Amino acid sequence: MLSIENTKCECGHQNSVGTVLCESCGKPLDKELAKSEEPLEMRYDGVARRSQKSNPSIIDRIWNFFSSVKIAIYLIVITFVTAMLGTIYPQENTFINLPDPASYYQENYGILGKIYYLLGLSHTYESWWFIGLLVMIGTSLVICSLDRVLPLYRALKKQQIRKHHQFILRQKAVYRDRIEGDSKEWVASYGEALKKKGYKVHFEEGTGTALLAEKNRFSRWGPYINHIGLILFLLAILARSIPGWQMDTYISVPDGDTVQIAGTNYYLKSEKFTVEFYTDDELPDELKGTARAKKYETKAILYECVSNCSDPLKEPVLEEVKKDDITVNHPLTYKGLKLYQFDFDLTPRLNSVKPVLVDKRTGEVYGPFYLPMKEAETQHKLGPFTLDLIANYMEFALNSEGKPTTLSREPNAPAFVFSVKGPGLAEDGEPYIYFPMQKDKVKFAQDTINRELADKIEIRVEGMENVDFSEATTHLNVRMDKALPYLWIGAVFSMVGLIMGSYWQHRRIWLRVDDGELALGAHTNKNWFGMRSDIASALKKIGVSVDPKTLDNGGKNA
Amino acid sequence: MGKSRRTVQIVILLAVLVIGGYAIWSALFGDDKSGPLEAGSEPPAFTLADLNGGTVSLSDYKGKPVVINFWGSFCEPCVKEMPEFERQYTKWKDKDLVILAINLSEDTLTVNNFVKRFELTYPILRDVNRKTERSYGLRQYPTTFFVKPDGTLMEVVVGGMLEKDIDERVERLLQL
Amino acid sequence: MNLVDFSGDAFLVAFFLYCFGFLFYVIAIAGKKWGNREPEEHVRRWSKIAFVVSSAGLAAHLTFFFTRWAGSGQIPTSNMYEFMTFLAMAIMIAYTIVYAMYRKPLLGVFALPLTIIIVAYASVFPSEVQPLIPALESIWLKVHVTTAALGEAFFAVGFAAGLMYLLRVVNFTEKTKSARRQQFWVEFTLGTILVIVGFIIVVFSFRAAGYEATFTQENVTIDSKGQQQTRVETVNYYMPPIVKPYNSQVESYESFLGMDKPLFEAPSWMNGVNAGRKFNTVIWSILSGLVLYGLLRLISRKPLGAVIHPALEGIDPDDLDEISYRAIVIGFPVFTLGALIFAMIWAEKAWGRFWGWDPKEVWALITWLYYSAYLHFRLSRGWQGLRSAWLAVIGFVIVLFTLIGVNLVIAGLHSYSGT
Repeated sequence: MLSIENTKCECGHQNSVGTVLCESCGKPLDKELAKSEEPLEMRYDGVARRSQKSNPSIIDRIWNFFSSVKIAIYLIVITFVTAMLGTIYPQENTFINLPDPASYYQENYGILGKIYYLLGLSHTYESWWFIGLLVMIGTSLVICSLDRVLPLYRALKKQQIRKHHQFILRQKAVYRDRIEGDSKEWVASYGEALKKKGYKVHFEEGTGTALLAEKNRFSRWGPYINHIGLILFLLAILARSIPGWQMDTYISVPDGDTVQIAGTNYYLKSEKFTVEFYTDDELPDELKGTARAKKYETKAILYECVSNCSDPLKEPVLEEVKKDDITVNHPLTYKGLKLYQFDFDLTPRLNSVKPVLVDKRTGEVYGPFYLPMKEAETQHKLGPFTLDLIANYMEFALNSEGKPTTLSREPNAPAFVFSVKGPGLAEDGEPYIYFPMQKDKVKFAQDTINRELADKIEIRVEGMENVDFSEATTHLNVRMDKALPYLWIGAVFSMVGLIMGSYWQHRRIWLRVDDGELALGAHTNKNWFGMRSDIASALKKIGVSVDPKTLDNGGKNA
Repeated sequence: MGKSRRTVQIVILLAVLVIGGYAIWSALFGDDKSGPLEAGSEPPAFTLADLNGGTVSLSDYKGKPVVINFWGSFCEPCVKEMPEFERQYTKWKDKDLVILAINLSEDTLTVNNFVKRFELTYPILRDVNRKTERSYGLRQYPTTFFVKPDGTLMEVVVGGMLEKDIDERVERLLQL
Repeated sequence: MNLVDFSGDAFLVAFFLYCFGFLFYVIAIAGKKWGNREPEEHVRRWSKIAFVVSSAGLAAHLTFFFTRWAGSGQIPTSNMYEFMTFLAMAIMIAYTIVYAMYRKPLLGVFALPLTIIIVAYASVFPSEVQPLIPALESIWLKVHVTTAALGEAFFAVGFAAGLMYLLRVVNFTEKTKSARRQQFWVEFTLGTILVIVGFIIVVFSFRAAGYEATFTQENVTIDSKGQQQTRVETVNYYMPPIVKPYNSQVESYESFLGMDKPLFEAPSWMNGVNAGRKFNTVIWSILSGLVLYGLLRLISRKPLGAVIHPALEGIDPDDLDEISYRAIVIGFPVFTLGALIFAMIWAEKAWGRFWGWDPKEVWALITWLYYSAYLHFRLSRGWQGLRSAWLAVIGFVIVLFTLIGVNLVIAGLHSYSGT
């Protein structure tokens, strides 16, 4: 090392390079600094920080970069500015289904929207540069803390009691006086007064004419504990990208259906979805007449598949594992899997009907028979009649060629075509089309299509008890997040650290009496107001009255 | 203190490089599972029932060019496309071309009627509860996936195709 | 009389007590030069009176809060009216806590008007008790909103002390470039406050006059499937429309001061919910704020900062600096807990995700990052005094944007709490 000069203090202590104030007696080491009269900069008690070293290598340079608080502040500022930009227009992920984001932004927000999209601001928070900023903040948290906490720990571990005059008198709170009588006694009684105020007081051994009083040292560790918490938090967020640690999908379950949760071995059945709205009496005037939901609830059963799980030819064997009513703020949880009430749809869906066959010529009624909308039996024998199901349509319509077709796979306008055999009908059967829903029957003129057969027979449902439909479909959000416990641990650490550092302050008072000349200096990391009033009120107890304000030695508040 | 200090520095910087690098890397190249599949990626595996009471898995056709087509009787372009696939199938059958037409979770009668009507001979598979459809991230019908013999996607075509579109792609697929 | 009505009366009492408290504070600092008085004794006596009166106001405010809670059966923090009144109350609580530490009642000269403005602003919003939608029924929401508001209240006290510091320290007689810049920005800050006051005045004047104008607006949006959709909506204005909504027709219009049609149309990119009306309100607020400012300038014949500056002489700027810093230090953990941690817990309970980059969440994070930058600047970069005071002032602007601006300008999950 080149710079051997000046690291040894006049008190005999060998300091490491970069030390500002002697680690032992506190005398300013730098010649310029020693000459000045200004209050001292007490950050980290003036010890050398790890990053400060002459002739740095590449590793040192990187290290120093992240060790700088200035850089840390820049990183914070850049992060919140970019976060601001990200809120100008809605982010892409707020749309559940956005096939072409580029044109969406341009069409809705014009040229600015296009620029916004091209800059990648439409997915700010998932972009590599935003993640990069967070990574850099994390790095800075680790390195900054490490570089400061160790020297600080060392400095606070071995504090000398009798400090250099310059050190004491260049604190931000200073008191000088001439003491009449025995100095040792005075120091002892002042120490006693400080003890009553909660200080730990150390007297200089032997002489008893110098003391160090200290309080709430633990609060110095607050920021570092907070930083550890933040690092844990960031790591937990990162851990969520480990495959299998996180899941976020949606399932829609109509009343009575059992649906597999994609990517898992679980099935969910919604027994019933109910929604309750506020009545007009409960609503203030301007909201009257609006459908304001009061409560919605899915009566759900979670099943786990125990066998035939991936065999497409067999029905999976399900075993009930959990039954719960899912409401907003009350998810169903099972082994880390959580199902949240997300949305609902009150469009009813027809599941099955139990129609009868009426022989119009005799007035005889046959049936009823069970006719589900999907996977219905293809043959039904009803008295003398035989119905063969030859075609079905979920949403009946006629295509461009005038042929029957279906518009979707949902039973929105179901139609069934039977070949009917029976007394007085053609040997090989006559076609009969049946619309279970009254509206379709009228719309597509069922009787006209069926021609003469419509005069002979009719298939119809008698009474609503023979109609089964799902009144609602519940939309649930399926989530799993294994990093969550770590996240909360991080948050707890962070909070504890913040509270330690913010609501307590590390206060120290140094005092020495030389030939009746009292020199008292005090330092705190926050709240000088409280520091000064501590000194003054302890002085008052031993009969010295000073206005706390006069203890202020100028300099900066921190 | 020089040596241990340097070690600590290197260990921490390496950790940052690995963890941070992973974070940024996954932000850059992390697969977006919600989006549709793209050329070059591997199509999700499936095992589905066919119309003859057997099962068919995608993995059964390793090393062969496979065309996976999702269709439904409710989708008009699909209906137009199906006979064209049939002609392509008869044309290229001998060259090991595999066509797997996955029905979009319709019921048995509908599928059987449809297959009978167009006299389709290539394997028709039955998806149940939209499971396979979802794993393929389908948003529009029909969608056709051209899978190269090496098991990765050559192309994804959304929407109906004319016979020449299919033909041109199959030819490219067979040359690989 | 039911409890909710009673709470309304208590609220009114609180408002007037705050106003009187403020008046007494003004007497305390402005009256010290009045003839043959002992200035220190005068300040001491009047600021004590003012503190007692404003504390009585806080007591009435607390009465309002708890009786409304009891009467409606839900904690009154669920709509904008309730939230803003709660924030005002939190500011008074924060002020009282800071007062207990520093015994500087004069801080009330700035903390009280802030409370009064926020209370008045709250009254702009409909005050009816609104039944909750299911997502809002959670204990965590209550904890989240109240704690966050308390943290923000400390930031508000930090802002008040910071602004006081600026008015105390910035030299209004100096003519150097940097002094002029400081003077300008202090004036600008005061002007901005006047714009908010102007907004409240305008709203209440036109409401008292019962002004109304109606437009029909054609809204063309492209939905997520790429389909173009046109919706025709009726837009009601409660202030004379200077600017009409984009792509709209006048339905009815009461002429105002000879103005019988809107002067211009809102630009097309203002396509949010009621963007035209909001823009119109902003114009009115700025106009009335400027008129107010002009009037005050006319009366005083010098910059407002220069009017207030002498009144603050005798207050130690270092104390103000420390109070501002201390208030923020106290508020920061409370804010972290309320606006971030509790918010995450609630979001996790309600939606199964602790964080969703919703604009309101992002702005809470921005506020947090901003104040953590402030703390680091102060601790490690030695930014104290003027710079720190400016940071405290700007910080509160960010807080206000998070609370109000996000709801007005950007819609998100929290938009139910807006208007």
